Amino acid sequence: MKNVVGLLICMLAMLLVAGTVFAADTYDTVKNRGSMICGVKDSTPPFGYVDPKTRQIVGYDIDFCAAIAKKLGVKLEVKPVTSASRMPQLIEGNIDMIAATMTKNAERAKQIDFSHTYFLTGQKFLVKKGTVKSLQDLDGKKIGTAKGSTSEQNAKKALPKSTILSFDDYPQAFLALQQGKVAAVTTDETILAGLHAKAPNKAQFEIPNIQISDEPYGLGMRKGDKKFVDFVNQTLLEMEKSGEAKKIYDKWFGPKSDLPMPRVFRIVADK
Amino acid sequence: METGLDFTVVWDNLLYFMIGAYPEGPLGGIVLTIYLAVVSCFFSFWGGLILGLMNVSRNKVIRYTSGAFVNFVRGMPLLMVIFWCYFLVPGFFGQPVGETKTVIVALSLFTSAYMSQIVKAGIESIPKGQTEAARSSGLKLWQVMVYVILPQGLRNMIPSFVNQFVSLIKDTSLAFIVGVSELTHVATQINNRSFIYPTEIFIFIAVIYFILCYIFTEFSRWLEKRLAWRKSI
Amino acid sequence: MLKYEFDWSVVTSGQYYDWLVSGVYLTIQLSAVSIVLAFVLGLLIAVMRMSSVKPVKWLALGYLEFFRNTPLLVQIFFWYFGSYKILPESVNEWLNSTNFEFAAAVIALTIYTSAFIAEDIRSGVMSIPKEQMEASRSAGFSYLRSMQYIILPQAVRITIPPLIGQFLNLTKNSSLAMTIGVAELTYQARQVEAYTFKGFEAFTAATLVYVALSFIITALVTLYSRKVLHRAG
Repeated sequence: MKNVVGLLICMLAMLLVAGTVFAADTYDTVKNRGSMICGVKDSTPPFGYVDPKTRQIVGYDIDFCAAIAKKLGVKLEVKPVTSASRMPQLIEGNIDMIAATMTKNAERAKQIDFSHTYFLTGQKFLVKKGTVKSLQDLDGKKIGTAKGSTSEQNAKKALPKSTILSFDDYPQAFLALQQGKVAAVTTDETILAGLHAKAPNKAQFEIPNIQISDEPYGLGMRKGDKKFVDFVNQTLLEMEKSGEAKKIYDKWFGPKSDLPMPRVFRIVADK
Repeated sequence: METGLDFTVVWDNLLYFMIGAYPEGPLGGIVLTIYLAVVSCFFSFWGGLILGLMNVSRNKVIRYTSGAFVNFVRGMPLLMVIFWCYFLVPGFFGQPVGETKTVIVALSLFTSAYMSQIVKAGIESIPKGQTEAARSSGLKLWQVMVYVILPQGLRNMIPSFVNQFVSLIKDTSLAFIVGVSELTHVATQINNRSFIYPTEIFIFIAVIYFILCYIFTEFSRWLEKRLAWRKSI
Repeated sequence: MLKYEFDWSVVTSGQYYDWLVSGVYLTIQLSAVSIVLAFVLGLLIAVMRMSSVKPVKWLALGYLEFFRNTPLLVQIFFWYFGSYKILPESVNEWLNSTNFEFAAAVIALTIYTSAFIAEDIRSGVMSIPKEQMEASRSAGFSYLRSMQYIILPQAVRITIPPLIGQFLNLTKNSSLAMTIGVAELTYQARQVEAYTFKGFEAFTAATLVYVALSFIITALVTLYSRKVLHRAG
């Protein structure tokens, strides 16, 4: 009995503490602090991964963070996040902005604000070569993806009979595919292509042309943080105009990169 | 996939395993693992001491509240404690707190609950007669605790404390889940990049953890023998 | 200041409630299977550890020291991802056709916990007077039979309190299975948080279940030890 009472006391104390989650204006907070903290992926080339030579996190997402931090005149700090942890991290104030391959969708937009689309891709599958011709080949099989991602939700809808196995991040799902533990890894094409390109045995895998959704990426910011959101959007549009956005794209996806892909989008203001 | 183990991946990334992105970036790897364990051990020693003393308090409210807290924390998986801290610690401090600090808070809270049981057992192992004797010689109750009971009790507790430290070293691996770049996180990053060496990487870090923990396990055994020997004379 | 809005309906009804309930079932399954296996394996290792045949003893000792002194999380990763390279192709194919995530978690939990249980049982056996073994041997029982009928039943009874502790630890540790995609309680609580952003509610529900499970296990083992073991002993 004594334990039950104590338990209630503890819960009550926690309630009081949790009642308040703070959110001041990020623009001013960041300026005052002199640094902007970005939540990024650390295992998702080419968006965010650890460069083996410098041992630092680099990638497309990090370059956008750096550009925005530079415009703000502050230092950039990056923090590794996962698909499942990025939004709670932002809402709870541990990071100022999410730049972690995050798809914009209506459900998320209820919780946080998105910038204009800064990258566009679609959800596909990475499979062992020759095993998959159409979506039907995958229904009923085990499919690997990452926890808390739109990929997970889309896959559940597209393949109702499959078991969706969610890992902390995509490379673990790819590792499971390498070892035959899942029949496919599903997520955004660029992430798949990035994983594929870095694999030492890439000839054994392919990405068949089966797309189950469009995935526009946005930078995530706290809800109602208008000054900061406007600033970020303004910066994105300027980067497009000055050609800096395209330069970043070419660095990671241009003809000379590991992962050549045509740029099928431009950064424009959302309607 | 080829057969046979190839540990080149380990030697190529040895520096990353050791210190993470340091000095250009944040500290990581084995050094961070040790740092997390040492700092959390320091806090949980004091936390455990306070909770343990509250547990043997004569005041019912203090005793029950601390007892309930200890039982509550011990009923929860460490992973849950970490998630809770993630959720609550920033609210508590009124400002964002880095995940390294959050994990230290979680590890300290969790281990304090276990340490308090060691402290309680240590205090209870001292014969009651000593308290009475000290009291009758005019010492106040807190003085009896600080000058008579605790010095003896704590000495007996040292081996158990060292064992808790070993548990802490192992528990720091859970910091991986919230993205703190300690040894396990660093290993998964390397694994996620190299793909075909999971066996080598996980054997390597298992051995590293084993060496760290085994040294302290042996140390605790040695202390236990020494203490037993000192008591016997 | 932004106010957190509570919405307990996400964990008391509908789809997310179903997720949590399925997580509870899986946590119970995972723990129950592993508890039984870990207990049996622990007994076996304890007997080996006390054997007078040197290689058997050393094997058990190595097993104990290694698995006690490496983090469970690393062991889970090793069995799930790392075992691939050292097993024959046919075994891998068979494993992959089964629910290997669950199996790997069971293997890791069983091995990790059995090492602790073995040590607890060994200290239980040590506390039983040597004369009993000698008497049993001189009455014509073999070493193993003496262990089985005379020593172990008593040792297990003495070991009940630490055993309860190990079973509780195992249940809590089963939360680590979430890292390899086993959709147990902690996994589901986190999924609910990721989908609804109602982390507080989801974690509260999961925490209450874990605390309740701890009580139930303590009660069950106590009951079992009173009813069965006392009669047998």
